[in-house]
Amino acid sequence: MGLSLSARHIVKRYGGVLALSDGNLEVTSGEVVALMGANGSGKSTLTKIITGVVAPNEGQLLIDNQLARFSHPSAAKRLGIVAVYQELSLIPDMTVAENIWLTHEPMTANFRLRGREMRTRSQVLLDLFSGTVGPALDPEAPIGALAPGERQIVEILKAISAEPRLLILDEATASLDRQQVIRLFDLIKTWKQQGIAIVFVSHRMEEIFRIADRTTVIRNGKTVYSERMENTTEQELIRQMIGDVSLHAAAHLESPAASPVRLRVEGLTAGSVRGVSLQLHDAELLGLGGLQGQGQTDLLLALFGAIPHTGRVLVDDRPVAFRHPDDAMQQGVAFVPGDRSTEGLLLIRSILDNLQLPSWARYGFPLRMPKAYSDATSAARDLNIMMTSLDMLVSSLSGGNAQKVVLGKWLMRKPNLLLLNDPTKGVDVGAKGEFYSLLANLRQSGTSILFYSSDDEELLNLCDRVLVLHDGRISAELRAAGLNHANLVAASMGTEQRL
Amino acid sequence: MSINRLQRVLKRHSYLFALLLLVVALLINFSLQANLFALTTINRNLANSLPLMVLVVGQTVVIIGGGIDLSVGAIVTLGNAILATRIAADASPGDIGLAILLTCGAGLLAGVINGLCVAYLRLQPLVTTYATSFIFSGVALLILPRPGGDVTRDLRTLYLSTPGGIPFTLWMVLLIVVIWLLARGTRYAQFLFATGGKPDAAYFTGVPVNFVRFSTYLWSGLFGALAALALTVSTRTGSPHVGDSMTLQSVVAVILGGTRLSGGQGGVVGSLIGVVILGVISNIISFANVPSWWQTLVNALIIIGALVGPGLVRLARKAVAR
Amino acid sequence: MSAVDLSQNNTSNGSGRLSFMRRLSPPVLALILAVILFFAGGLVNPNFVSVTSAINVVRLAAFLGIIAAGQTLVILSGGEGIDLSAGGVVTLAAILVFRLTNGENNMVPVALLVALSAGAIIGFVNGIGVTLIGIPPLVMTLGMAGVVSGTILVVTGGQLSGKTPEIMAQWISDPLVGGIPGVVFFWLLLSGVMWVVLERSTYGRQLFAIGVNRLAARLSGVRVQRVVILTFTLSGLLSALGGFMLLGFSQIVFLNLGDPYLFPAIAAVAVGGTLLSGGKGSYWGTMSGALVLTLIDSLLTAMRARIPELGEAHKLIILGVILVILLSFYGRQRSVRQ
Repeated sequence: MGLSLSARHIVKRYGGVLALSDGNLEVTSGEVVALMGANGSGKSTLTKIITGVVAPNEGQLLIDNQLARFSHPSAAKRLGIVAVYQELSLIPDMTVAENIWLTHEPMTANFRLRGREMRTRSQVLLDLFSGTVGPALDPEAPIGALAPGERQIVEILKAISAEPRLLILDEATASLDRQQVIRLFDLIKTWKQQGIAIVFVSHRMEEIFRIADRTTVIRNGKTVYSERMENTTEQELIRQMIGDVSLHAAAHLESPAASPVRLRVEGLTAGSVRGVSLQLHDAELLGLGGLQGQGQTDLLLALFGAIPHTGRVLVDDRPVAFRHPDDAMQQGVAFVPGDRSTEGLLLIRSILDNLQLPSWARYGFPLRMPKAYSDATSAARDLNIMMTSLDMLVSSLSGGNAQKVVLGKWLMRKPNLLLLNDPTKGVDVGAKGEFYSLLANLRQSGTSILFYSSDDEELLNLCDRVLVLHDGRISAELRAAGLNHANLVAASMGTEQRL
Repeated sequence: MSINRLQRVLKRHSYLFALLLLVVALLINFSLQANLFALTTINRNLANSLPLMVLVVGQTVVIIGGGIDLSVGAIVTLGNAILATRIAADASPGDIGLAILLTCGAGLLAGVINGLCVAYLRLQPLVTTYATSFIFSGVALLILPRPGGDVTRDLRTLYLSTPGGIPFTLWMVLLIVVIWLLARGTRYAQFLFATGGKPDAAYFTGVPVNFVRFSTYLWSGLFGALAALALTVSTRTGSPHVGDSMTLQSVVAVILGGTRLSGGQGGVVGSLIGVVILGVISNIISFANVPSWWQTLVNALIIIGALVGPGLVRLARKAVAR
Repeated sequence: MSAVDLSQNNTSNGSGRLSFMRRLSPPVLALILAVILFFAGGLVNPNFVSVTSAINVVRLAAFLGIIAAGQTLVILSGGEGIDLSAGGVVTLAAILVFRLTNGENNMVPVALLVALSAGAIIGFVNGIGVTLIGIPPLVMTLGMAGVVSGTILVVTGGQLSGKTPEIMAQWISDPLVGGIPGVVFFWLLLSGVMWVVLERSTYGRQLFAIGVNRLAARLSGVRVQRVVILTFTLSGLLSALGGFMLLGFSQIVFLNLGDPYLFPAIAAVAVGGTLLSGGKGSYWGTMSGALVLTLIDSLLTAMRARIPELGEAHKLIILGVILVILLSFYGRQRSVRQ
């Protein structure tokens, strides 16, 4: 039923950038191989080559010991190779059933679709996750109306409906909640028994140790390590992923307890936020935690004036009503989005254009370009952005450097209040360390930071206090001794556990 | 749950708003023109509208697929030129058949050119089909430099006939609807909607996006040729600029009918309704005794009102919700 | 803007063949093409290559270029920005000036003001429709084009009475300095203004930003809706300006004076290297594009004089083929597969 895949010495160039210089991966029927690597390491490129989305420049792909060359994703699909990305392949206006069966719909002899069969077979697939999803997830539901976790499940079911022999799960658990992940892992064990070969790409160490048999690590475009899970440790894997760069110390600082309150929020309601009140002190690093989609992003967007909201917000004891990000910016508020390529950057414009976008009005008319260039240069230097000139397109920067540009454009304005929306998601370990130091520096100069992270470890290490959101409300405020992983998890689920 | 289902039905059948518009427009028209629903009136109106109706079928498919075809008017002119020169007043069925075949071939060839440029050379559809419209107009002009031709009366008689008490043209419209409903239930249709809705996702899933896009232009070329056939049969002559106004009219009709310009949803039924709406509006204006130099403005205002309508409703709903 | 630039489109990088062309910025390449076309004209008809003839080409291109200025802004703003009402606004402006001045030189400033205001109002309505009501620009401007045409008929009652003031012909279309007509100088002045607006003003920077990524722009404080409304308003204003200039050239008006300029204006923007999806481009490019298009037209006309068999039909076909070829150099979109 399954197959064996051997990717050997794969090379891939995108224009002048070398994404993969020596990619290798081996996986056989019935086993789960974890594919690990920092962002920009080349692991997504490798999976895209295996699934035929992208063509390699050099190297060999052997499927069942036969040389394979894919000119189109459908060629790989025909061999039974299917990938699940983070909801990259769903059509929003089409229904769950239509999406699941797209390109292999059950048909009559006259080429007409069998609608009823599509619906019943979709329901059978949806039942695999019964008990972990809401009633909105039915075969006729348009994808656009579903929650991210539900969409991810449809992606997974879509892959399974094609009866794959090799299944690649690329960060497929990112938007799933705890119960859904447990169910998925149960299903994976069944699929293993059926002989399917599985590649599991993930950043989550705990999950990898739970489900994988072997692991392969890619760093800077090269496969550097491959080992059975029982013969390796977490530390070893991290070491292989980031090389010998040591992790920067966390930005943990003593919280200035009696400092004035910079931000006071009372009864904020917006999007999925249903009445949140909080206080943020000067120079404090306040964390927002909880499962994904519980209102954290909407809270930050509301505070930035990007979405309509009700409730009282006071900055430095003055009531404010931000109706547009521009209003918030004028009061010294800054917002760093989670998805930098769609929300944070103008990819086909220069680094200068990106850094100065919020600030052009400061340079008068006509714009004083020499000053704009020099201000941007010093900002880039402070952030240690690796570039050859400010006129380079931002799309030519690596992930970590691009994230610095997103930060840089706000730091140049010396904000009083910095709102961060899961900024280190998908950022590699080395860059994370630099980021934490930056946060520490900002706090030293008095900036207050409200920081949402989907990474529990990060919250626990960095923050003085953490507010956990559940269902759009604050379910717990954790500080000092109460700020531990168990309490965090409990509050995320909406239950209480005091340790 | 029932509100949800209602929303789903509305989304699935994007032509419902257009249908509402049509009913309103027909009522107004009827109040001004008592014989609106008489057989002869219907026959005449349909005979005028059928060419545009045939044309919008192809344009709808292109737009659903995420593109647009601004050369359709030129393709109609080209088809008209071929037919007018090859079908004489005394043409035999063989001549007629050959001429129709040639016309369809020309339409398909035009579609191939458009499709290659947009799908494989990845040129932007708007400007490219505008450029190719020059090419097709030029060829049409080569074939028929001056208005002329005298197409056999027999075809026109057939066109205006009423077999079984129902106009031939209405049979044609019903045929189009039936063909569309059948085609809508095929895998190709799923590919089409996926390509227009989210091409990257469709590609990842294995949909042959480039080929699907290419094929949509073949359809608009073919239906352009068929529209030319309807037009030529009705007017019996050829003219170098006959198709010019039909291009933008086809776009307006498709949008009135509820198909989104960005692609991924919509349907032919709505576009057909859109064409009828355009005709009814035109009727209303002439029967309402609007002074001749006001007619264009009133027509344009009504159309822009219809185009803007759904957007205004959405705006009002948002304001109320706030 | 430097002449050597990185590839502007996210096309998949093909073979080395013609890759040197990708290093030259599109306006420069279009300009080189224009020069080649000009001398090619000399091969057909030796009289083609002369100073007078060159001036005439630039003069004709100036009108197209001025009309295409507004289109450049709208296309740069992204969001499938396009202004299909430009042709109608050109006509309306010309007719308003024709009527209001009725040949009186001292009525020109007032008439110009009225025409520009009319254009700006139409553009403003377009902007409102596109932003607040959420109508795609293609649809909104198409609808407004009909409204403008209808308004012209109502305003004139089908009768085109009026007269062009002499001063307009003198300053716009007749030779002014060194045999060069005023419109060319004005075009150069406009290009300077456009450069300052696009490259040295906050509005221009924000315009490019919303052309690339409206969400990122908004989250960086850009008031997207205001920028879009302003852009369409400017487009209407500039189209009206183009109509004014055109009147100084044609001296008479007719009901579709501006229509033949609409799509060539869009083509000029595309040929000049501005991405039709927005966010990257320049007015220099549009100017080069206008020159190229005018030269193609002139070249074909010159060829027709030489080869009588070459009719209008051949001209149309050749024009279309050349446009497609030009578009395949710089008009290519992102590939689904890389």
